[in-house]
Amino acid sequence: MNNRLQQLLAKVVVDRYPICIEKLKLVLASLEASQGQPQILRRAKCIEAVLDQIPIFIDPGELIVGNAASQSMGLEIDAEYSNWSQTEIDLLKADGFSIAPEDEVALQALYQRYTPRTMVQAVGEFVGDDERLWPFMQSGVVLPPWTSKTGGSGGGYAQSGLGLGPGFYLMGVDIPAVIQGGLNKLIAEAEAELGALRFTEAGAPEKAVYLKSVILANKALLRFAGRFAALAADLAQVEADPVRKSELQQIAAACARVPAEPAQTFREAVQAFWFLFLLLNPSPTAAAGRFDQYMDPLYQRDLAAGRITRDEALELLACLRIKDMQLNRVSGANNRKKNAGLAKWHNWTIGGQTADGRDATNDITYLVLEAAQLTRIPHHTITLRVHQGTPEALMMKALEVVRTGLGMPAFVGDDSYIQFFVGNGVPLEEAREYILTGCLDANLPGKSRTAAIGMFIVPLVLEIFFNDGVDPKTGLRIGPPTGDLNRLHSYDEFVAAFKQHLAHFMALAAEKDNIELSVLRDSFPDPFRSALMQDGIKSGRDVLDRTMPFDNGAVLNPVGMINVADSLAVVKSLVYEQQHCSLAELRSALAADWTGYESLRTDCLAVPKYGNGKAYVDTIAADLYRFWAETTTSLPTIYGVVHQPTAISITSHQPGGALTGATPDGRFAHEILADGTVSPMQGADTQGPTRLLGSAMTIDQDPYQATLLNMKLHPSALKSENDLHKVSALIRTYFSQGGKHVQFNVVDRETLIDAQVRPEKHRNLSVRVAGYSAYFVQLGRGMQDEVIKRTEHTQC
Amino acid sequence: MALPRAMDSSVSGTIFNVQGYSIHDGPGIRTTVFVQGCPLTCSWCQNPESQLRQPQIFFDRDKCQGCGKCVAVCAEAAISLVDGKSLTDRALCIGQGDCATVCPNDARSLIGRSATAAEIFEELSADAIFYRQSGGGVTISGGEPLAQPAFAREIFKRCKDAGFHTTLDTSGFAKWEVAKSVLDYVDLVLYDFKHMDAQSHKRLTGVSNELILDNAKRIHHELGIALWARVPIIPGHNDGPDNVAATARFIAEELSPEIPVNLNAYHPFGESKHERLGRANATFSTAPPSEARVAEIAAVFRAHGLTVAIGG
Repeated sequence: MNNRLQQLLAKVVVDRYPICIEKLKLVLASLEASQGQPQILRRAKCIEAVLDQIPIFIDPGELIVGNAASQSMGLEIDAEYSNWSQTEIDLLKADGFSIAPEDEVALQALYQRYTPRTMVQAVGEFVGDDERLWPFMQSGVVLPPWTSKTGGSGGGYAQSGLGLGPGFYLMGVDIPAVIQGGLNKLIAEAEAELGALRFTEAGAPEKAVYLKSVILANKALLRFAGRFAALAADLAQVEADPVRKSELQQIAAACARVPAEPAQTFREAVQAFWFLFLLLNPSPTAAAGRFDQYMDPLYQRDLAAGRITRDEALELLACLRIKDMQLNRVSGANNRKKNAGLAKWHNWTIGGQTADGRDATNDITYLVLEAAQLTRIPHHTITLRVHQGTPEALMMKALEVVRTGLGMPAFVGDDSYIQFFVGNGVPLEEAREYILTGCLDANLPGKSRTAAIGMFIVPLVLEIFFNDGVDPKTGLRIGPPTGDLNRLHSYDEFVAAFKQHLAHFMALAAEKDNIELSVLRDSFPDPFRSALMQDGIKSGRDVLDRTMPFDNGAVLNPVGMINVADSLAVVKSLVYEQQHCSLAELRSALAADWTGYESLRTDCLAVPKYGNGKAYVDTIAADLYRFWAETTTSLPTIYGVVHQPTAISITSHQPGGALTGATPDGRFAHEILADGTVSPMQGADTQGPTRLLGSAMTIDQDPYQATLLNMKLHPSALKSENDLHKVSALIRTYFSQGGKHVQFNVVDRETLIDAQVRPEKHRNLSVRVAGYSAYFVQLGRGMQDEVIKRTEHTQC
Repeated sequence: MALPRAMDSSVSGTIFNVQGYSIHDGPGIRTTVFVQGCPLTCSWCQNPESQLRQPQIFFDRDKCQGCGKCVAVCAEAAISLVDGKSLTDRALCIGQGDCATVCPNDARSLIGRSATAAEIFEELSADAIFYRQSGGGVTISGGEPLAQPAFAREIFKRCKDAGFHTTLDTSGFAKWEVAKSVLDYVDLVLYDFKHMDAQSHKRLTGVSNELILDNAKRIHHELGIALWARVPIIPGHNDGPDNVAATARFIAEELSPEIPVNLNAYHPFGESKHERLGRANATFSTAPPSEARVAEIAAVFRAHGLTVAIGG
């Protein structure tokens, strides 16, 4: 790695992230001044205020410019979601963030002076007095549990990025339109549309306001680029080093041209991309779309003209990765649990097929992977689309990156992802252009958007079902009474009753979704994103206020389904088939968290578990997922369509587990739930990766917008090129059978140490050295230490 | 003309593991069946639980709480409590496994089970799709598969009929007729070369190497079945320059320089298993060879025109 990259990397590794209030000051002042005006216009003026006035800087050595917050590595307090109380600020400081003492005081004073209605307040007004919804909000069946009607789950957001928050939508805007067409063209289109508008039709006044807002916001971005052109020119004037001087001149020239005009070079395209991306943030889920597809033509043109070398392109992509490390987000203490760490999913989709079904791999596909290999930093996220024609060489390159321990790229199967859209009536050619947004949810660039709201904790519903419909934590009734469990004479009756209960909660979750959707729509129109959607100018409507060509506005997302499948298998086997215990006895054991029922728990653990290719339980999991998909697609959204099922857990299995009591699968109260959504419970799979995938293949994943399967591999399984080919075959086989996603974590030293302490969680961890294979937990202590030492070695 | 013999579903054998996603036992993604029982007694054996034919009890002394449930349940009265831990008299134990079932602390587990070839084949079939996609298949290892020839033959036969690639991982120690009966259904043989000198071989493994070397030649020359050589490197026992050169020469000249050679450096992973089998005295101890030494040995093989891979 060269000096420049080392220098830039050093700047993004910080001990304490600064919390800033510069953006909040500008936004609140703008909102205060614009009271009474249409919301979208007020929001456009916020963009103007921030882009015209936020302090800007260029770090030494930077090739791509545009700072994401007023301070280096800073996070700006966000105005839209919820306010930060002093208590929450104190918790932030305890968690390793810093805030200037004067800003801390100024923050509470700002809130005193003027506070816009936050999203949490708006939702609270809807549900706070509702006797059905309020107990539901408090239960945490959809995370996180609300603790107060005005404060939600506590805490707001602080994020980097200069656009409008809170950025809860998963969507891909038409990035190529900006890079290839330029914003001047877009602005001209909006002006023409506005000029042709006559106030004789319904909706015309709103359309006029919308178009004005689009023009204001986009012109502000052009002025912002202009500020950087001027700053770079000034810096060039005083720069002594001739090499850096020329770089700064080049930066100044690029910023003077893009994003107003079409990018002429790869360099300009990357700069245009970054300006645009700064405005798509703050958002933990801003998506780059099919980056390799729209960037490669510019790269090839430069290469042919001798304007760029492969190494220079790689350096630019590495710089872009480092830039993305500057886009961070932190939330209130409760939400921090749901998204552990500074979680974000700025997803770059690479590979896959072209619209006409050819393999889409190009040079940039490889370069994006190499930039990750070179910089070894966790962001941005990369997802590789895999289809039958994906070159094996690309799989090898991707697995080399996996081997570094970065945990990326994620692999997704084109077959099942495309089938999701085709099954929903999208033409095949359009479906082939899907991108990953957020963690793994698919969207069509410019044509669809999903609200990322709601992680539904299914095991909690099972607990409430066993507890006669009452939430054991609050004592509040939130489900229909289950009645006497003994009336359920067969397993089929039991499952039917549980499903009825589950459907009741899913309907409540759908209501909550719709309330949040309408609050998002009314509170957070976004002229910038909206203009970059299909017919963004012509439609004259905000992206949250129209039904999209493919509308997947709301999703229902189950977490812990596998624990429920394992639990139902226990009920089926022990209660109904073997009549080893009664439901009442099982309920007592769960209520006692297994104390006094140790031997029953041992029997529960012995019932087959999902993840071992055992039809007995796999079919139960498949049936539950089928039920979830069918029920979800019967629940309407405010967009006049139905909810879509998706299944990603992020890190919700931890707080979801913390809320949930003991479950019949043998899990203790408050223990973590199964990770991913088609992954087994931790340590439950003991038969190796093929059997685990065999289990996942029994689930029909096509109706899902996403599913998630995490697999752990020891470095010894990725040593030789041959080993990588075998992992590639594993992936391809899974995808050929309807698998959607798989991601490999190369087991690190910490995991192995944890396996020494808690072997029951790592029974499946197998290590293989020199022709000898063993489960790690079965090795003697000394040998375990030896493997740990070796693991460090293999990984560096 | 004789009718094809119907599959014999009664053929059974003893195994101690069926390992999915075996990636170092032949080409592609494989499932490996480890059979129990071996006529050799290699002192460095890394799977000592596979040496005896009968199922055995694995005992983890650290986990034992001395509750005595196992003592009560053992029909052979093979278990007693000594110093607060259970102790198995291995001479009396017949591997029934009741003690493992009742143990509340997972201190006892039963290694080995008997199964029919039909059952094993069904288990192997679960991964058929992975074999096809990866060019993999099924490997029988051990233990010594040729010590349960009817069982191994029946499994291989069923696999061949299903179109799975078959690999035999063997020491080569079996009468030719016996080996041949299994090899009828084998695509690839992984073959161990432990020592070239008959006396040393006998000292290290308990048997002489004449039959083994002879079988290797016949497999290669008479049957023409693909063969991969596996050479364990046991410092101080078979890594001397003379033996290394003799091994390389044998493979290159008596067989063929086309035969791929895999060098496996000794690693003391088997030691904790010896302890758990109550055979702490049998523990064999030597340090693993240095990477430099393994590279030197590889160079000798390469000098004979052989292709060498290290590890795995």
